[in-house]
Amino acid sequence: MAIGDLRGLFAEQSLSFLAEIPYIYHCHHYNLFHDQTIDDALGEDEGARIRTAAAHNAFRDLLSAVYERSGATTPVERIALASELFQWMGQGKLHLDVGAGGGRARSASLHYGYAWREKYGARVKRVEPADAVAAGFAAAATELAFGLPSDAIAVTERKCVATRDAECEFDLTPAMGHPPLPPVDEMAVRRYVVPPVRGVDEDRIVAISQGLVEFMSGVQGDERGLIAAFNVFVTAHLPGYYNETIYETVHRAERTAPSSVPAIEALMQQAGQACVFFTFGNVLLSPEWEGLVGPPTGVSSDVISFCTSIARGLGFGHWLVNEYEPRKRLVLQCTSNYEVPFYRSRYGLAKKPRSYFIQGAAQAMMVLAEVVKWKERPQLSNDYYVDLFRAKPRYRVEQTKCLMRGDSISEYVVDAM
Amino acid sequence: MDRYLEQAVTEVPQLIGIFVTAMPDALLFSSWVREGTSWSAEDVASYFGDLVRANRQGLKALGSWSSEMQVTIESAESLVVLRELSTDFVCGCVFERTAPLGMVRLHLKRLLERVNQALPRVQAEDRPRGLRIMEFLDRYAPDPHAVTLRVSLRSGISIDELKAPGNLSADQIRRLEETACKILGVNQLSL
Repeated sequence: MAIGDLRGLFAEQSLSFLAEIPYIYHCHHYNLFHDQTIDDALGEDEGARIRTAAAHNAFRDLLSAVYERSGATTPVERIALASELFQWMGQGKLHLDVGAGGGRARSASLHYGYAWREKYGARVKRVEPADAVAAGFAAAATELAFGLPSDAIAVTERKCVATRDAECEFDLTPAMGHPPLPPVDEMAVRRYVVPPVRGVDEDRIVAISQGLVEFMSGVQGDERGLIAAFNVFVTAHLPGYYNETIYETVHRAERTAPSSVPAIEALMQQAGQACVFFTFGNVLLSPEWEGLVGPPTGVSSDVISFCTSIARGLGFGHWLVNEYEPRKRLVLQCTSNYEVPFYRSRYGLAKKPRSYFIQGAAQAMMVLAEVVKWKERPQLSNDYYVDLFRAKPRYRVEQTKCLMRGDSISEYVVDAM
Repeated sequence: MDRYLEQAVTEVPQLIGIFVTAMPDALLFSSWVREGTSWSAEDVASYFGDLVRANRQGLKALGSWSSEMQVTIESAESLVVLRELSTDFVCGCVFERTAPLGMVRLHLKRLLERVNQALPRVQAEDRPRGLRIMEFLDRYAPDPHAVTLRVSLRSGISIDELKAPGNLSADQIRRLEETACKILGVNQLSL
């Protein structure tokens, strides 16, 4: 069975699944900033532990579902399929040399380590390894290949491309297992969406997002296991990883260091800004986009509609434009997103709005629409990004409604300052 | 001071730019850049100030530092000469790559004499270390737009306190410096 055949689509909510486990697309700018924020909040050791555990849990859910549907039962079949899946997702090409008692894994091209070195390697000397996602994946793949319980395998990355080693290397060792939590799968996701609502420019947004979904269905890792597309490294990734790392970090900070919570939330918003600027922006400037939609028009309302289409096309959920007044106000809403089902399943109702990613994304959409001169086809470089977002803020965002809190919809209001 | 520079450079046709940097903070003091040049003195001055600082430390470690130190960089497009004018000022001159080295040395000698005469004799201000660390981070940290938030999280110093880094306590400055080293991946800051 081809991995692509395991894909599923909840079309009216713009949510994607692999073997009924939700997946989305995020670029390396978002991924690296996300992980960096977890480490900033918790420190390197605890940050790596939380990130590895989240990846371990998320990939255990995915691999279990994939094995069940594909009929892979033997260790050899399962290890081969896991490696193929990881490569397909653009996470890297990982060689697993493992048995029931653990073993080793290695790779010269993992998404996180490779992209970190590309983006930051010339400026910063990193000491800690960067590939918690691959580490968690390797542990989960080993456990499931040999029928071991959850957390029966511990993993340590002892060499990393990001720390200037030639390859990333992992040691997998036996550990104490414990019962897994139930997966947040398609059935759980469907419990936490509300009926889709039509927004401004809905017909055009639907048409474009459908075209983008079709285009993304052909995107997969290359011989290195990386996806270089739209001028970024893209991954098919698991919301379970992002959500567990974010919310475990925020909840812990709320318990132990509440004064740090606003900074964590602000950085999580900035991760959303990075996603929209780099991924959405580069999609808008790509030849593929021009083939699908046409050349950039420079019309701000087009940019808002296009960004909404891209969000849907990447599987971020049913985003819609409720109101848009150029240079003044954007009201973005969601009837579904990839954060809500996880939060509600794991933690119940939130006490306050917590869609940090979309808060930042909405703010960045306004900046992209109003500030970037699209007809000049600017290079969306890191320097340009820093210039745009280090300047005095032009817009503020407030999440006024949140499905996590039990509201009827999620709503993000961006106003000019 | 900029007016003196403009006068001083009129007889040096192959000069692309000149920038005077105040040490030890590598802040641009005065500059002139030929019209039509793609870079600005503000963009480059601090980097070369840091280069001079690193060079000072390296030469001191070798036991061969002197205040007459000069750094010459020959790149594909330009010839850059950095010269310490005093303990307080460093001058950087960028020439066209085609300029003969002998002519560059001759022009440089005259140019630096004139610049030196125009420089004020100053007592370098002992600027607060917290302020200098934040400026250093702003210049070199990855994701500089997010650096204050990152520092706040890692150091436990509030955003409001970081907005006035000159007022930080000794313990906060220690934590700030540790955080800066961590973010930049270095063992110590060359401030």
